Amino acid sequence: MMTSLGTGIAVGYLIFVALGLIISFAVLWSTRAGRRDKGQGVDVERAEKAEPWWGVFVVGLLAILLGLTIWRAPWFTENDDPKDVQVQVTGIQFGFLVQPTQVKAGEDVEFNVTSKDVNHAMGLYNPQGQMIMNVEAIPGYTISRSYRFTEPGTYEIRCLEFCGYKHHEMIYPAFQVTA
Amino acid sequence: MMTTAVPPVAPGALPYDDAEMPLALVQAKTRRLVLRVIWTSTAFLVVAGILGLLLRLRQAEVITLGDNFWYAVMTAHGLGAFIAWAGFFLMGITFWVLMKVGLPIRSFVLPEVMYWSMLLGVIGIVLTTLLSGFGGSWVFLYPLPFNSAGQWSDMVTGVFSISVLLAGVSILAYCSAVLHTCIGPGLKAKTDTVGQRVGLTFGFGLLFPSRFKTDRGKIPYPVLPFAVNAVDMFLATLPFALLLVFQVIESVNNGFSINVLLAGNLLWAFGHPVVYLLLFPAAATYYYLIPRYAGRELVAGKAVAVAWLIALTMNLFVWAHHLYMNYPDGENVQQTLGTIMQPTTYALVLPSALSLYSIAATIWRSDFQWNVASKFLIAGIVSWLVAGLQGIINATAAFQETLHNTLWVVGHFHNMAFLNMGLLIFGAMYAFLLELMGRGWWNERLGSWHLWGTVIGAYGWVTCQMIQGLEGAPRRWAVLPEQYLTLTHISVGFLALLVAAQLVFAYNLWTTLRKSPFDDPGAAMQGGTQR
Repeated sequence: MMTSLGTGIAVGYLIFVALGLIISFAVLWSTRAGRRDKGQGVDVERAEKAEPWWGVFVVGLLAILLGLTIWRAPWFTENDDPKDVQVQVTGIQFGFLVQPTQVKAGEDVEFNVTSKDVNHAMGLYNPQGQMIMNVEAIPGYTISRSYRFTEPGTYEIRCLEFCGYKHHEMIYPAFQVTA
Repeated sequence: MMTTAVPPVAPGALPYDDAEMPLALVQAKTRRLVLRVIWTSTAFLVVAGILGLLLRLRQAEVITLGDNFWYAVMTAHGLGAFIAWAGFFLMGITFWVLMKVGLPIRSFVLPEVMYWSMLLGVIGIVLTTLLSGFGGSWVFLYPLPFNSAGQWSDMVTGVFSISVLLAGVSILAYCSAVLHTCIGPGLKAKTDTVGQRVGLTFGFGLLFPSRFKTDRGKIPYPVLPFAVNAVDMFLATLPFALLLVFQVIESVNNGFSINVLLAGNLLWAFGHPVVYLLLFPAAATYYYLIPRYAGRELVAGKAVAVAWLIALTMNLFVWAHHLYMNYPDGENVQQTLGTIMQPTTYALVLPSALSLYSIAATIWRSDFQWNVASKFLIAGIVSWLVAGLQGIINATAAFQETLHNTLWVVGHFHNMAFLNMGLLIFGAMYAFLLELMGRGWWNERLGSWHLWGTVIGAYGWVTCQMIQGLEGAPRRWAVLPEQYLTLTHISVGFLALLVAAQLVFAYNLWTTLRKSPFDDPGAAMQGGTQR
């Protein structure tokens, strides 16, 4: 099951793919007419002149996407406000040390994520199995990421950065969020 | 029997067709070199493809593999499919396309270094992964190579690093050979200085025709992506080589270590541009082949030249988008790099967007020649568009908390590498075999089966992976959580179709080589294969 962001990405992507396929089909279909007029029925010079405008259009779309999204980069969405709970998460081949292991729904929780050996990552999954957080665990560094839980239940932490031959077994199964 | 080939075009329709052909001996040597690369890289595809199949069959719980062996297979598959097959094939075909546009290889020393260092490097990678158990993945994220949890030794890491270095030497030799070839007399600068030759090579002749004059009328467009790629890959390979040298030192001196963040940046300074080691030569080959099937010159003007200059510069400043999720507290440099490299990565959309426009405009209402080769090319171009849209999503930092290190990414790069560059590679094989070997393909119907089996099988498989990724399935997991098992099983069905299509291709190729008569001696180059 996808998160709302995942669903949004999928829908946006599919809309553009559909548009692209329609245009591609139109281009390929046009070769039927091209066969009849031996490829002479098109103003090549005009198409060349239009190309920069296509470039401007693409740049414009990308500029809009940049303006809408850059401020939501993970490093911009963190703030220095004091949080209710600090949770220390340390990756070590092949498990997570988590302290404390339980928080309350509604609390502002700050996860401080690091590693003792190689690169790991904390993928936090809600009781429905959706990934709601993804934070790298880098040896020698700490990354802080905040989250406010709204739903009580048992959450799972999975390693999302390849860390060795038991990478797929690096799971912390029982991070508790109480009512 | 089918004789799919690059079609002749009306005299004067393509301005570089009348370029003087090089000496017969150079043609024959180039043909032999290109064929050697084609057969070697295709052998690598067979191995890498089988390894990839094993990976997915294990995830689907159809077979069992030891945990570390699965990751060693993953490492060999990644390097084998990406560098040893697709990258190597396109490196080889570069010299054929360059020769066809009037830029024959000027010295065979560098291409021979390219060939042999790649071969040795791949042998080393196979030995260190499949036999000695190096399973650090193709990105071997430092310091994992030295923290194997007892699965392989530091010495194995050292030998693996040397093997990858040899592949890097191959890339450097290729880049040097391409630049040596392009910045030669072939572009016929009116004022024959190095500055004029360089300017013509990088598209200034298209932008400022009165300052950069040539006797050739118009610079062939395939030169632009080849030359841009050569410069960028040369520069991008150097920091990567430095990381590998550091790893070799650490393998013999345990007291030596490097900063983890620095290692990540050195890795990705190469790790992203290497995508363009495939994409840019692929673009050049589309530029060469599509106008021939459309029967008209590539519809492109100054905008395309500007786009490739943007690619030349921006390609070197995009690596940090692989490190969006590495934003440690107090490390503002990494966060700043992430902020800068979202727009620089977006800028790289421009060469693709304009290339797709040019190709579409070239095909539009043309008397297009449809055959297996051109159909493969069209399928590859549509995949370029689809995978490019995924690339924009991947370049967006705000989406990474949902996508980073999930199977979405794996689906994306297979969509780009296999369904764009891979389909181009098959298309190029169908197109060029006649003139490379002087014999047509055995069976056109089998070629069509190959096309449809590949497209349906591969799209079914990568779509499953992308959906799994959007649902949070982690990448590089030998055993996936049970919630993803259904889609994994479905993807295995599509993979079976994909494999069947490749077997059809192998049969058609084998029969062609054994039975197809030498049916077009005029298309073969001097010294053609004639049994």
